Amino acid sequence: MVAETHPHDIELFEYVEDELPAARRDEIAAHLATCDVCAEQVRQAAVGREALRETTLLELPDGRRDEILKSLSAKDREPTERRPFSPRLVLGGLIGLLALAAVIGALVSSNQGAGDESSAGDVAAETSGGGGGTAEAVAPQADLSANGSAADVAEELQAKGFRAVVQKDRVVVHGATKQQVREALADRGPGDVEVVVKNP
Amino acid sequence: MEDPDAPLVERAQRGDRWAFEQLVDRHQNRLFTLAARTLGSADEAADAVQEAFIRAWLGLPRFRGGSLFSTWLYRIGVNAAHDQRLKRRTEPLDEVREPADPRDSFHASELSSALQDALNQLDEDYRLAVVLYDVLGRSYAEIAELTEVAEGTVKSRIFRGRSRLAEILGTRTAEE
Repeated sequence: MVAETHPHDIELFEYVEDELPAARRDEIAAHLATCDVCAEQVRQAAVGREALRETTLLELPDGRRDEILKSLSAKDREPTERRPFSPRLVLGGLIGLLALAAVIGALVSSNQGAGDESSAGDVAAETSGGGGGTAEAVAPQADLSANGSAADVAEELQAKGFRAVVQKDRVVVHGATKQQVREALADRGPGDVEVVVKNP
Repeated sequence: MEDPDAPLVERAQRGDRWAFEQLVDRHQNRLFTLAARTLGSADEAADAVQEAFIRAWLGLPRFRGGSLFSTWLYRIGVNAAHDQRLKRRTEPLDEVREPADPRDSFHASELSSALQDALNQLDEDYRLAVVLYDVLGRSYAEIAELTEVAEGTVKSRIFRGRSRLAEILGTRTAEE
């Protein structure tokens, strides 16, 4: 025999999970006693639940954990203090460049006034050619070197409380002095890994 | 709700690799089980887990703690598994890899059980709901947040998923 109105799936689920208030639970039980459709659904849901709960947690293969950690080394990120893109910063940069151009212009004209034969083009080429401020910001000189791999050195520094990240096979340390970093890496001795210390 | 992962998450957000490794150790097996049970392939699941942890590491500075770290991580895992499934559809059949690790063979047999076959036949939404609730023991609230549906929908999906699963298992038994 089939009852006229069936409870919603949600209530049948809550019935199976025993989450219904007693009064409503009794009503559903009474319905199930007379409705073969709902009774079969509840029975199936209980069977499905038991089958699922018999399964155990699977273990990630050992080698995969190492692969994950290795792939993190290849994708190191900057610390969180990185400033987001800001139109104001871009504007400030442009103003700085204009000021630099004005200074170069003044130097060129004073050199020409003194009878120097070098052209403004030569000066501009020298400024942009390397060793200038911009180029140095991109690839700063290493302050120290250490034995081991870049990842190991960075890890040791992080464990000692430094903000160290690997960038292009170098270790960059933020917010510390060279002396502090040198002392922290004293046991390693000098080696192939270049360490750059940035202390604003 | 207090997040048990919060202290490690804060350190990992500051770039602490050791802290992130502890988070990997805590969650790798659950994330792998989620991916393996929803994808039905140990090899693809391991790839999805690896991808999920890389995405989590890179995205951690943007994690604001509005949900549990595990919920956030599982969501990344579900997306990575989804991407694996899409990749499977576009990959030629002859590129299907053999398991390289002996443990992968173990998982392969584990994932060829009658239950896994039945799970593979479930609608994706139902499969995800029953795996998260019955296998991994996540709460309705977490599953609702992770799958972006109401808690009532979560309950309904679990109920229907279980019923359908039992139906498939019953049909298999009757056929054998």
